[in-house]
Amino acid sequence: MSAGVLMEEAVDGGAGPCACSSGLRADRCCAFDWSTPPDAPRPTPEVDEAAQALAAGDAARAEALLVPLLNRHPRHAGALRLLFELRRAQGQRAAAEALLARIVALDPNDLAGTQALALILFERGAMAEAEVHARNAVRLAPTDPRSHNLMGMIMTEAQRPQVGEHHYRRVIELAGRGDAILLANLAWNLKNQGRMAESRALYEESVALAPDVFQTQFGWAKMEETDRNFDRADQLLDAAAALQPGATSVTLGRAILRGRTRDYETAVGILEGLERTGGGLGPVEWSEKGLLLDRMGRVDEAFAAFTEAKRTLREATGQAYLAEAAADLAQRLKAFFTTARLAILPRAGVRADVAQPLFIVGFPRSGTTMVEQTLTAHPKVSAGDELPTINELTNLIPRMLNSPLAYPEAFADLWLGDQTEGLDNLRDYYLQRARQLGATQKGASLFTDKMPLNETHLGLIGLIFPEAPIIHLLRHPLDVVLSVFSNHLTHGFYCAYDLETIARHYVLVMDLVEHYRGQMSLRYLPIRYEDIVDDQEASVRKMLAFVGLPFDRRCLAFHENRRYARTASYAQVTEQLYDRSRYRYRAYMKHLAPVIPILEPAIARLGYTID
Amino acid sequence: MRTEGFAHLEAGRIDAARAVAEARLARDPGDGDALHLLGIVSWRSGAQAVAADLLRRAAAALGEAEGAVLCLSNLTEMCRLEGRLDEAAACGQRAVALGPDDANAWYNLGIVEQERLRLDASITALRRALALAPDHAGAHFELAEALLLGGDFKAGWEEYEWRFRVTGVQPLLPQTRAPAWDGSPMRDGRLLLIADQGYGDVIQFMRFLPRARSLCPNVAIACGSLMKPIVAPLAGDAPMFDNWSQAPDFDAYAAFSSLPRLFGVELATIPADRAYLRPDAALVAHWRSKLDRMTAGGPRRIGVVWAGRPTHGNDRNRSLALEQLAPLGQLERIALIALQLGDAAAQAGRWWGGAPLVNLGPEIRDFADTAAIISTLDAVVSVDTSVAHLAGALGQPTFVLLPFAPDWRWLLGRDDSPWYPSVRLYRQPSRGDWTAPVARVAADLARPGRSRPAT
Repeated sequence: MSAGVLMEEAVDGGAGPCACSSGLRADRCCAFDWSTPPDAPRPTPEVDEAAQALAAGDAARAEALLVPLLNRHPRHAGALRLLFELRRAQGQRAAAEALLARIVALDPNDLAGTQALALILFERGAMAEAEVHARNAVRLAPTDPRSHNLMGMIMTEAQRPQVGEHHYRRVIELAGRGDAILLANLAWNLKNQGRMAESRALYEESVALAPDVFQTQFGWAKMEETDRNFDRADQLLDAAAALQPGATSVTLGRAILRGRTRDYETAVGILEGLERTGGGLGPVEWSEKGLLLDRMGRVDEAFAAFTEAKRTLREATGQAYLAEAAADLAQRLKAFFTTARLAILPRAGVRADVAQPLFIVGFPRSGTTMVEQTLTAHPKVSAGDELPTINELTNLIPRMLNSPLAYPEAFADLWLGDQTEGLDNLRDYYLQRARQLGATQKGASLFTDKMPLNETHLGLIGLIFPEAPIIHLLRHPLDVVLSVFSNHLTHGFYCAYDLETIARHYVLVMDLVEHYRGQMSLRYLPIRYEDIVDDQEASVRKMLAFVGLPFDRRCLAFHENRRYARTASYAQVTEQLYDRSRYRYRAYMKHLAPVIPILEPAIARLGYTID
Repeated sequence: MRTEGFAHLEAGRIDAARAVAEARLARDPGDGDALHLLGIVSWRSGAQAVAADLLRRAAAALGEAEGAVLCLSNLTEMCRLEGRLDEAAACGQRAVALGPDDANAWYNLGIVEQERLRLDASITALRRALALAPDHAGAHFELAEALLLGGDFKAGWEEYEWRFRVTGVQPLLPQTRAPAWDGSPMRDGRLLLIADQGYGDVIQFMRFLPRARSLCPNVAIACGSLMKPIVAPLAGDAPMFDNWSQAPDFDAYAAFSSLPRLFGVELATIPADRAYLRPDAALVAHWRSKLDRMTAGGPRRIGVVWAGRPTHGNDRNRSLALEQLAPLGQLERIALIALQLGDAAAQAGRWWGGAPLVNLGPEIRDFADTAAIISTLDAVVSVDTSVAHLAGALGQPTFVLLPFAPDWRWLLGRDDSPWYPSVRLYRQPSRGDWTAPVARVAADLARPGRSRPAT
């Protein structure tokens, strides 16, 4: 046997250790060639021995047995599982995840592995990947409450709380309501839907069952802060702090709370204290500090804090603007959506039997949330929030049209005899998803979809909803860029990770919008954020007339619309319309100097000036 | 040098002409002929500003020497094309003073004076050109335009017949032995009518079709396919074709645009008492339904067209940029419906005005669509292009924006049109000034309950 090992090493010599830190060679781990035929089964007494070593707490012995075995037989499920458990116990998250993903790939029916993988991905924030495995877990074990609980958590954090609620309710059906954590999770879900009273009742029930759970107390505090019960939120933060003294999240929560009550000095003081004692701030804390300093008029320090926030974010995530991918998509969209081609492409029919979408588009931080809150105060308009469905469709279209091409070129299949109703199918998929996501409500003839940057796909929207109203929020580009820079967003190919890339993506998207509007008929209304601030009623009347609804005075008091908007804008839309955010860029002119040349043409075309 | 350099130029050998001019200028930087030649070369190479400057220097250097008249005449035309009309007129006057027997110098001066709206001076200059060169088709045609613009239709129509003899103009029809129709009744034999010139001309002159058919029962019509759906309702049972290979035999022919001459039409006798076009009812229903949905809430729907065909000789004067219509976007409860076709339609993407703009251009297939859409609108605002004629022929309220020197058919000094009672004209007060007429259109549209142009 040793001769064989030597020979393998001689053949494969030079393969280094895998970057995932599994301890295996790269070509036996993440770089393994899965097309090689599996080994013939053979006895592997090392695995039993390793299991015994692990049980006895001898990790070194277990590793010494497992690593050589897996370097010879990378598909060995038993060995993989033991090494996964070992790495997870050691806190080697990347290795644990890689090994678990391999276990599930080798045996897609492994329920425990699938659930564990969904959880590990959820904890890393990889919601889309986590969702894939959580869905599989429900398919494998539809009556297992753990599978539904995973779906509940993932859907809640992926901003689809209505779907999440369905799964949490299913857990309660299957396992009863004796689990305090489950009740707190459902409470958080309901808070994200703006159903504060129900959320509060569940938090109370959860705390009665288990009073000493930090996450419950902290989540409840956030819920009360959102509902503007600031004193109660303070008390709950005290309770959370008592359970986990020195928790950074509580300190940040306290600073946010002080900021919301306009005690900016104290809020900044809290964060500075955290900076001194906690070994530096993270991106979220830096951003919050920047916003507080901005409110205090300390703009140089505020901009420095925003800059730190982006720097630490890039460090933490390794993420940067995907410039080439963005440019490639934009170029392909412009090449495809031309008047000549659109003249021979079909359009989806208009469904008269269901509520129709009202697209509120715009660059992030342009006022889309405010406009959604305004319009959904009308009884004929329900709130869909940020529906992910247009983006989903861009991925699904090739499959749905049975095309070998990618989006948007896959629309060429609409010319084939068996795809003539392809656009109707895409339309129905969107409408069905919107209903599932809770966007539609009885009595409403329109539902909003305010996913920012949906304007990237105006061509697709125009094909499947040729008569749907599209309201495009415009705001001074320097204000937009500044505001995106002072918040954390992942939209737009990660453009928000640097000042200049925000500006570049802004220009790219506006160029696309101009292209679409020049090439096709759209029901499109540009609305300026500044005009809403100047003369709210006139703008509201114009928007309601545009979507074909009578004026309703309730829309003017949008800050009383208690529906919780789950975006970075929520603290603003719960305040009355204010002037502070209009032409905020003027205080930051010297800081914005690098992006002015990039934005100048767009500023001029939109009729804005720099002054 | 003149012979050699200009011979290269006439033969299209631009580089050789440039080499001759530059070699000469290297020896003598003040050589007037060489400066003139290099100026022409520069103009043809697209360096307009350099060219005009070279010609100014050439004219100064040449003084009254041989070649000065041609140089000044060329400078006249360059200045006109660049929009410097006063300088052009001054050069033109110097050219004819130096060369009173030069027909082309008078012709160029006549064109400039027409653009300056000095019609008498223009007519005088063009008649001098024709006295020197009676077969100067260009001068005849420009004279026709000056006469018609001034409302002298009788003399104008006669000169207008020269349009087919202008250099570069396509013949009206393939060679034929059949005579041109003289306008008298033709009970036997077939009359061929040709829907000639631009789309607007066809729409304007097709009003004479019923009268022609009443004189000649057996008519065939040559008509481009885009215009066919518009012309057909007035054609009755007359066969129509769009390819000369399909032409039937005929015994006489006439262009649509010759019919007013043949019928002796004068200002007071233009048949314009009612709309003479009817849109297709099914198309109207289709577009009305679509626009009702695209512009929900019942705003007034105002069609807009901001540019003509870019190859039209006067396009730079008659077209504007969509953004120049911004005052219309400030109107309350209005939706703009873009009927623009061609490259200029893409400007719809850069409309950021307050009123929504529905860009219908990409969905318009032909004039039948445009006519049907116009019928569903409250009004049309258009520059001088075929849509203005179409809206007028449909009897729809139409606001036409005209350049300082308009096409002859809009006449001068009036804000109505004897051709189209539903049309109101908004003229530039000075060359290039669109601000004033657009503001007046917006003000008229803003009057309560008013979509119909003020009369």
